[in-house]
Amino acid sequence: MSSVADAAVPPVARAASAGALWRLMSDPMGAGGAVIVVSFVLLALFAPWVAPYDPLKLDVLNKLQGPSLAHLAGTDQLGRDTLSRLIWGSRTALGISLTATGVAGAIGLVLGLIAGYGPRWLDGALVLVFDSLSSLPMILFALAVITVLGPGTTTLILVIVLVSIPGYARLIRAQTLTLKTADFVQAERSMGASVPRILGRHLLPNVVGPLVIVLSMDVPVVIMLEAGLSYLNLGVRPPTPSWGNILYDGYNSLRQQPTLVIAAGVPLVLSTIGFTFLGEGLRDALDPRLQVRPR
Amino acid sequence: MTWMTDRRRFLAAGGALFASLATRPNFAWAVEGTTLKLRMDSDFQVLDPYGMIGGLDDVMQRCCTVTLCRLSDMRAGNTISPYAAAKYEWIDATTLAFTLHDGLKWTGDFGPVTAEDVKYSFERIHGSDSAWAYQFEKLKEVEVKDEKSGVLHLTEAFKPFEVVALPYYAGHIVCKKATEAAGGKFTTEFPAQCGPYLVDKWEQNAKVTLKRNPDWPLEKPQFDAVEIYIVADDQPALLAYEANSFDFTKVAAASASGLKSTPPANSTLIEATSTRYVWLTINMNAPALKDLKVRQAIQYAYDGDAVVAGVYNGLTKRSTGVVQPGSDYARPANLIAARDVEKAKALLTEAGADGLKLNLYCQSDANSTATAQIIQASLAEAGITVEIQPTEEAAYWALGDKTQGDGYKSIELVLMNFAGGIDPTENLVWFRPDQIGVYNWSFFDSPEYEDLYQKSLSEQDTAKRAEMFHKMEDLMEQSGGFVFICFEPYLAIHRANLTPTILADGHPDPTRFTSA
Repeated sequence: MSSVADAAVPPVARAASAGALWRLMSDPMGAGGAVIVVSFVLLALFAPWVAPYDPLKLDVLNKLQGPSLAHLAGTDQLGRDTLSRLIWGSRTALGISLTATGVAGAIGLVLGLIAGYGPRWLDGALVLVFDSLSSLPMILFALAVITVLGPGTTTLILVIVLVSIPGYARLIRAQTLTLKTADFVQAERSMGASVPRILGRHLLPNVVGPLVIVLSMDVPVVIMLEAGLSYLNLGVRPPTPSWGNILYDGYNSLRQQPTLVIAAGVPLVLSTIGFTFLGEGLRDALDPRLQVRPR
Repeated sequence: MTWMTDRRRFLAAGGALFASLATRPNFAWAVEGTTLKLRMDSDFQVLDPYGMIGGLDDVMQRCCTVTLCRLSDMRAGNTISPYAAAKYEWIDATTLAFTLHDGLKWTGDFGPVTAEDVKYSFERIHGSDSAWAYQFEKLKEVEVKDEKSGVLHLTEAFKPFEVVALPYYAGHIVCKKATEAAGGKFTTEFPAQCGPYLVDKWEQNAKVTLKRNPDWPLEKPQFDAVEIYIVADDQPALLAYEANSFDFTKVAAASASGLKSTPPANSTLIEATSTRYVWLTINMNAPALKDLKVRQAIQYAYDGDAVVAGVYNGLTKRSTGVVQPGSDYARPANLIAARDVEKAKALLTEAGADGLKLNLYCQSDANSTATAQIIQASLAEAGITVEIQPTEEAAYWALGDKTQGDGYKSIELVLMNFAGGIDPTENLVWFRPDQIGVYNWSFFDSPEYEDLYQKSLSEQDTAKRAEMFHKMEDLMEQSGGFVFICFEPYLAIHRANLTPTILADGHPDPTRFTSA
């Protein structure tokens, strides 16, 4: 039974998992994106060892210093080392964006599978919820939730999860609706496979690829959202370093020390480029239509 | 005739047009025509003197209503002179007679500005629950003699009455008929206006446009229109000023050195001592702060030097109270004048409050968040964990307001600043017991303070008044409910051809701006 069922797994899923990494790394754009993303992840993971100073340590007598050997990216308006705050800021940015997109992706995946494979009434009800949530303007919704719950990391993650779920769920639902009438799923069903087995063994591997690509492409959007809200003092609370609040500090000190705003902009730009290139690379690596190249 | 052009000709013509505009005299000037462009850091909230908060509320009232007398520019010594009153004189120590100018009239067919309007304006606030009721505490009644004349009777001699009560805040005269027709109070729309300017347009949180009042009978203001732009933070406002968006803006102390070394073209920097005082409120009613030792630990742990150096660039000094430094009444020193982290730690241990965690509320502008972060870091050295809660303006002012629920009873730390007045009683009034749940967010409830406050109102001797004020500030500090931070330095920049008038509260009076 299991051997027959395994044979029913389409080649797409296997190909996606087998050579994806090799194809990703052989694409210069994808490889570049992967390197940038991995670098940020490493910086975030090892921030306590990599950062030259305590990012919260004030030194007001040395505030708004330009770049020097002691402070490679200068100091901020309270004399804190900007480079150290940027490095710790990567932990904030990636921590929030990866957690939020990960949770939203997981919930969206489950809800999308249920909507796509479940009975029509359940599909209708879930789509109504997705549409209702999608109809809320993201920033206004975020501001409303933050006003009610107060700013902070948890609120920020909650907001991002809530606004992201509908998009992911709709993507998975569409994929599931297409796949549930496919021959290999019909064959599995006719052999008496249970619903969890069909969902987990056959549909999940086929829908997760596009979701990973979308998640990867959405990470920079979430980083920007976090930075934007922190810039407005609605994200992480001071003195937690965030690229957004460093950018805000830089903007407020623009006339005295422009280095700060430039330094805060660099990781935002780099991470956006990195995750976008990685997403593009993953799409190419995981899309079966792009893998068959003419000789 | 045929019109022919090509890309090259089009670019050449465009370039010539741009060059001619760029070389036109005053091209870069925002004072164009007769429109004055000012920047304020927050929008108005309540235009009725009864419920106004301050800032743009007061500026709008200056433009669109009148007061019996008015103050000079703060740099000219805050002298007082008649304004809506043509005649204005003390008959004796408790009687002040006035006669209004002819020709002052309300919009909306509400007729002339009358002594009855003055009586209504002052007496509706006297003894009421308005935050500005203190201004008329010594007012007994307003006697109307005829349409234009009246007499203010005081309960006892109170020489500062005319500077405390008449030139601003609740001293603005409202139209009795129009206000009553509006239900007795108003918020964001004047029921009737009579000042040199009239409200033309309000774009909420963005801009207020005022137009000259054609029926204004007194000295004409120089500008046909006043545009007031709302920009919360000083630094973006400075950038906007440099891009010629305004003619006048307050700037941050942190910008001072840069503006002195490389000033924007055709600009003048104003540096003055402001009456705006900053302090840390420690709510002694909050469960975590009920023990005096805990509050004293905060006072000892606070690093005043770091705040002055970090936020105000050393342009001011740590304050010793809420009475303006340099005046005859300023307290010489704080009781806890020097920082002592070890003592703070010991006090916390004695109080059994090791591992104390507190919330510190502040407004979300750059200065406030920077000050809050320094306070956070200095208290952390004593082992107090502070969570900063940057709060937008409307929510911030609701924090200690008893009409907004019971939250005011348990707020812990709040970074506060008020525009001060000229007489010390105007600054000390906010810490009286009846201000708990209004502006006394420390829950400072001292009968001795109240007694001294009342005595200071009628005391005529300067030395005795100073002694009273010092004692009042001692009581404040001893309660553990306050850390006095500083009086903010006043910095503003304006076009060199402009002569601004800035009043004691640090806000501009657009009706008296002139341009060369």
